[in-house]
This record gives sequence, C-alpha cells and structure tokens, in this order.
Amino acid sequence: MNSLTRRQFLADVSAASTTAGLVSLASSTPLFLMQSAALGAEQRGENILVVVQLTGGNDGLNTVIPYKDERYRRSRPSLAQDSSSIIKLKDDLGLHASLRGFGKLWEAGQLAVVQGVGYPNPNRSHFESMDIWHTASLKQTDRTSGWLGRTFDQLRAAGTVELSSPAMHLGGDVQPLALASRDVPTPSISSLSQFKLQTGKSEAERKALEAAMTTPRSNPSDLLNFVTTRSTAAVKLSNRLQEATKDYSTSVQYPASPLAEKLKQVAQLIDAGLGTRVYYVTLDGFDTHSDQAAAHANLLQQLGEALSAFQEDLKLHGQDGRVVSLVFSEFGRRVQENSSRGTDHGAAAPVFLLGAKIKAGLIGRHPELDDLDDGDLKFHTDFRSIYSSLLANWLHWPVKAAFGEQLPGIELFPA
Amino acid sequence: MTRLADLSPRAGWLPFEPTATQPFDRRAAAHLFRRAGFAATFSELDQAVARGPQATIQKLLAGEAEHAAFAAGMQQFATSVLGRNDTAAIASWWLYRMRHTPAPLLEKTMLFWHGHFATSAAKVNDARLMLQQNSLLRQQALGDFAALVKGIGRDPAMLLYLDSATNRKTRPNENFAREVLELFCLGPGNYTERDIQQLARCYTGWEIQNNAFKFSSYQHDTGSKEIFGRSGNFDGDSALPIILAQPAAARFLCTKLVRFFVADEQFVTADWIEPLARQLQESQFQIQPVLSTILSSSVFFSSAARGAKVRSPVELTIGFLRAFDAGANLQSLVESLRGLGQLPLFPPNVKGWNGGREWINASTIVARANLMRQLIEGAAGRFGGTSLVDWLEHHDLKTGNEIVAGLSDLLLPVEPPAPMREQLAAGFAATKDREAAAQRALHQLCTLPEFQLA
Repeated sequence: MNSLTRRQFLADVSAASTTAGLVSLASSTPLFLMQSAALGAEQRGENILVVVQLTGGNDGLNTVIPYKDERYRRSRPSLAQDSSSIIKLKDDLGLHASLRGFGKLWEAGQLAVVQGVGYPNPNRSHFESMDIWHTASLKQTDRTSGWLGRTFDQLRAAGTVELSSPAMHLGGDVQPLALASRDVPTPSISSLSQFKLQTGKSEAERKALEAAMTTPRSNPSDLLNFVTTRSTAAVKLSNRLQEATKDYSTSVQYPASPLAEKLKQVAQLIDAGLGTRVYYVTLDGFDTHSDQAAAHANLLQQLGEALSAFQEDLKLHGQDGRVVSLVFSEFGRRVQENSSRGTDHGAAAPVFLLGAKIKAGLIGRHPELDDLDDGDLKFHTDFRSIYSSLLANWLHWPVKAAFGEQLPGIELFPA
Repeated sequence: MTRLADLSPRAGWLPFEPTATQPFDRRAAAHLFRRAGFAATFSELDQAVARGPQATIQKLLAGEAEHAAFAAGMQQFATSVLGRNDTAAIASWWLYRMRHTPAPLLEKTMLFWHGHFATSAAKVNDARLMLQQNSLLRQQALGDFAALVKGIGRDPAMLLYLDSATNRKTRPNENFAREVLELFCLGPGNYTERDIQQLARCYTGWEIQNNAFKFSSYQHDTGSKEIFGRSGNFDGDSALPIILAQPAAARFLCTKLVRFFVADEQFVTADWIEPLARQLQESQFQIQPVLSTILSSSVFFSSAARGAKVRSPVELTIGFLRAFDAGANLQSLVESLRGLGQLPLFPPNVKGWNGGREWINASTIVARANLMRQLIEGAAGRFGGTSLVDWLEHHDLKTGNEIVAGLSDLLLPVEPPAPMREQLAAGFAATKDREAAAQRALHQLCTLPEFQLA
C-alpha cells in the first residue's frame, strides 16, 4: 500500500480531522501535523498493544493453579484440576490443561504471568468492576473516559499526537469504555469482510450515497453531529480498509473460533501498516456461576489456541518484535466453589502478557489460600501498574493523563 | 416550537396543547408513533392528526383491549411455532407481532421491559420458557411494576438465565438478589452488600424444577432479615414493597422511561425526574399514569425532543416496514438484527441494551446502510402491495420536491440540509428507469444521519 493511502487513512479515519469539504470541528489538530507524524509512526515501526479482555470474571485460580496446595483441592471438590493434566510452569504452579496455547508460548519464552492482580476494596458488581478496569479510576464519580481514551486526549492536546485514530476495536459488542475519549473516537468494526458499504453499480450512485452519509450539517444538534461524524468516518474507513487488506495472505491455520477470527484480522491490519497502536478485542462467557468445568475449559482452549496462532502469524510476517498482547479480566472468582459446581464473583486474579519482547516468566507470588479477604484472594499488584508500564515502556506515551496518582512500578520488559 | 431554554420541568410535564406555531401535524404524529410505537403509515398519521394528540395517546395506552382477535391469532401462531423449540423462531414471531400489531405502544413498552428484565434465549435455550416470559411481560407491560417483579422472580427463564434455579437456605443465591436491586429496582450504588445478602435470604426456596417454579419451603429461610432498616421474616414478595419504598426506586425507573421514550441524554436531571417519580410512587408503581404523563407532555412534543434519540435497530427496521406497509423476509430480518446487535430475546448481557450512542459505530453505520438497501430492494412489489413508484402516486406525491417533503414528514424527525433535499428530489424525479431511481433515492434518504434518529 502506498504511503499516500496510509496518510489519507490516518487523517480520514479520525472523525475530528479537517479534510477539505468535510467535517470541521473546533478542536481539530492541523492536518499537516497528523500527516507528518503519522508517516513517522509507520516508518519507525512503532510498538503495538493488543488488549484481549476476558469478559465475565475469569476464574484465575483454575487458570494459574497452585496444584500442590491442599487448600486448593479442599475448596474445589468438583472443580479442582487433576495434577497430572496440568501444564507445569514450575514445580508447584501450572496452567489449566486446556491452555495448551499458552503452554507453547511459555516454552518459547513469550509469556509473562503477573499474579495477584487487583485493586483495593474489590467491587463484585460486574459492571462496576469492569468499569474500574476500563477507567483505572476507583472513584465512582470519575468513570466516563477510559485509561486509553484519556491518553489519546492528552496526545491530541499536546499537539504531539502521533496518530489521529490510534486505536481500533474489533468486535460486534459495545465499544469498551477503556477507549472512550473526549476528542479522539476509536472505530469499532465487527468484521473486515462485512465491513464494506454496498454502493451500487455506478460511480454516480456511490457518490450520491456517500454524499447522503457524509454531508456536514450547518447547525446540528449534538446527537445529529455525533451521528454525522461517525457516519463520515465509517464511509472513509470502509474505503480504506478495502484498499489496505486487498493483498494479504497467511499460511497460519487459525482455529475456527470467534476470538481467533478477530485476532486473524488484527494480524492482517498490523501487517497492512495502518499505524494503529492499540487493538482491542473481547472474549465473553467467563461468568461461570454454575457448571463451570466444561465451559471454562472451552474458553481457555479458545484463548490459548487463538493467541498462539496469532503470535505465529505475527512472527511469519516479521511483526512479532513490535506487538505485545495483554490478557485480563474484570475480577477473579471466589476460592470456595458454590453449590452449583461453579464459582461466584471474586477479586484478585492473574494477568497475562504475551510477546517476543516481554520479560517472560512469573511476576509476583500466587496469593495465599489461607489469607483471604472475605473468601477472596488478596491482590498485591495494582492493575494500574501494569497499564502504566505498558503506556510508558512499550507505547512510549505519557502516563499522567491515565492515572491521577503515583503507582508502584512493575518490570514488564527486560531492562 | 418550544425552545429548550423555555422548558422547565413544571411546565414541561404538563399536557401538550397544539398551537399554530406548534401544531399536532403529520410530523408531530410521526414523532409520537416513532416513540410510542414503531413509526406509522400516512393513513395512520392523518387519522391521528384528526383525532388529536391526547385521544391518540389514550388509544395507544389502551393496548390490545380492543384487539382481542389479533391477540388470539398471535397466541395460536406462537403455539404452532413452539413445536420446533426454536428460539430464533420465537424471535421472528415477536418481530411479526411488532410489525403487525394494532397496539404498537404495548409492543414498544414490552421491548423496554425485555431490556430491563433481560433474559437471553442464547442461554435459556427453551422456546416455551422464553415465550412464557414474553407473555408475562405483555400482561403487565402497561400495568403494575410490582406485579412484574413478583412475576419475574418466579419466571423459569429468568431464574435459569441468572443461574438462580436453586436458592438454598444454607447457601443463599446472591446473584439474583443483586440483580433485583442493581438492575430491576434501584440501580447501582443504592444498596449495600449486606442488603444483597439479606435479600438473598428472602428468596431462598424459590426454585425451578422441571422447568417450572416451585417453592421449596424446606429450603426457605424463615428467620428475621433486615432490609433497608426494616426487620422481619420477609420473603421475596414482602420484601418488595420495602425496596420500592426507597426513593431511588421510582427515580431509577422514571429515568429509564424518560431515556427510552423522550430523549437519550436530556431531561434526566433530578428536577425533571422528581415529579414523575412522585407520580409513580403515588400510583403504587402503576405504569400507565406516568407513561401517559410522559407521552402527552409538552416536553415530549417539543423541538428539543425531536431527533433526540438514536433509533435502535428494531425501530429502524420495523419502523420502515410499518411506515411503508411493506413486507419483509422475517428470517433474514432476524439475521440482520443479530448483526446489528439487537435481536429480541437475545440481549447481550443482563443489562439489556444500553442504547443511545452505543447503537452507532463504524460497523453499525455500514450495516444499517446495507440493511436498508436490502429492505428496499426486497420490498420491491410489496410497498403496500405495489411498487414504490405506485405507492408514491397513491399517496399523491408527484414531483421530486413533493416526494422529498412527504417522505421527510413520514420518516425524519428533522429536515435534512437543502443540498440533500435537492439531490433526493432529483433522484425521485428521474424519468428513466423510474422504479430503480426511486429506490436508489429512497435508499439515500434512509442513510441520512437524520434517519438514524427518532
């Protein structure tokens, strides 16, 4: 893809950009700044973060398992995993048998497991806890913009913005709050193949349709303005994505799962050199209140296989050196299994980082099973430290906007 | 028309009285039907204009009272669909009902309650149980909120969905209690973890066995519970009045109603909600009085409320089909709504559908545009049983400008900009391949940002 198309894409995709004859908003950044900076971003091969959100509250205790601990077996009469099937990470800790994909990455030195991640005063409501992870804000009043969204706003305000639309959400679900920002909208697309505006047979038809969808209104209401700018951005994105992904191919056999399908498209977009810095995908179904065993195993299998194929694909296309994947969930689950062969909302849980450049291995100890907080595992690593390190040490972005306070550091990358 | 600055809650909730500058014309009637239903035909608009706003609203509020034959027919239809135990078939049954019902406010309000008491067929996977819940909601949709909550607490589909089919004295199910407080009655932050734990004890023994509700007295905790400062041997039914007596309850519900019927992002501050909340409490949580107030109010008909909501996928599609009295392939409609994120009976999570701006992203914009094209081309020969060109002629819309003005009255909450009106008028006025040109112009109209709004 030629560089003019890439520049156009980056400028066009942002609904807040100024492009001749189209939408004009007061706080837009001059086009030339974005163009030159954007070119620089691709040429420098800037780092990329892929966020994989496990929605519902993943049972961390059955994912990264202290399999020799008697208390584990006692608390999980039906759910405790068989020691012989566990994928050993070290002599008393291992992965659920279905997480083979992660096992492979561990062997290849491309997996880091951060244990005991959470935050003070755990919140057991799905939506509130998820919001806390998305906004990195423990205060209820402060949850309208995401940790990433606020960072985009700061980049824009400082005028050192590298990209007009630094992130993309792949999925049919609602756009994650983590990406919500005041001035920098992130596109959400459910699939590349379906993402093609049908414009009819003739060029005249196409133009007429695009005019209907993008003509600016002179005095729109807030809501109408929102729809118009999104509509304009959608048309541009559709055109550019068709252009960008025309010539891609891969020999990697991705499994036939929804997550794998999303990551395959992410790999395609990364290879197209669009300059997007953050890709966000979700895998739902982790809220296993009853009959957890089979459902959880299936999800973990899907997770492991998809990410393993993704890593292989990145490597094949020479992109693995610049991509780190973060895998998290909004809380762990209770230590004691419940009366329905499932588990209820808990607190601390492990977070995973994958990639060729991360500091592989275990980070932090497994929380003690005999020192619980009202039946839940206690955290020792604040999730915001992980975010902070990814922003500063991987994406090389400012940290201040995302978090109000100073956080303990964490070493995710080799010195 | 009333400007935003002129609106105060006191005046805003008073009944709308049409004037020369703010008439109850076709546009106002179209606005009413878009909100209190799924849009309407020209004929329905003209009938409404003749009747006047208050009479039209009362007729809508009467629900299916005058339409026993339709209701009976739908029941029979449902029973035949059940034979396949296919939950997607129940979804298409409900879409058919929305498309053809003579009582659109009832179905629209049902959509609201379905989102409020979200239950997904993807998990429950039993057509009969989903239909049973659907019937429960329809019985009380315009009736009694307390009866709704009591009914939903015994509804097999709901309890199965919330993993609350068992609720034992020794291990009370907190999941259901939490959702009763967080999602159904009070909203987040208006209760403590202790309230949840105590309420969970009230519901012990409420179980599902063999897909039916069964009260297991052996499992029921008959001890004293303390909820919101009141103590006693409460169960799920007797705890409810205590919950609803919390000021947060009426406010929570009224806020949701205003968001659903009036505006996505306005008129939900405390001063606007208080009068409605008071009315809801004073009427013992009967839905009709407060809904009547909302729909017949000045603020509802004000310019601030026109185009103040993003149309949901169901509104977009069913609305189009009703406005043109057009036919559609229900099966492909089911698939399209699934793709747009709003297949009835398949909400994404316990919160239902958040709606508003969340309906709009790059993907859904493209999907909506493509879907409208499909509906228009698929409706060929079925615009009220005729072609689009014939339908336009039948409604006395001859010149390009007349057509654009008429369709704008029918379909759009606000006028599109002049250049767009000109482009569309030229399209409709084409003399060569008239049907194809008209369909293209209609498609363009249906991709206007204005069309995405109600």
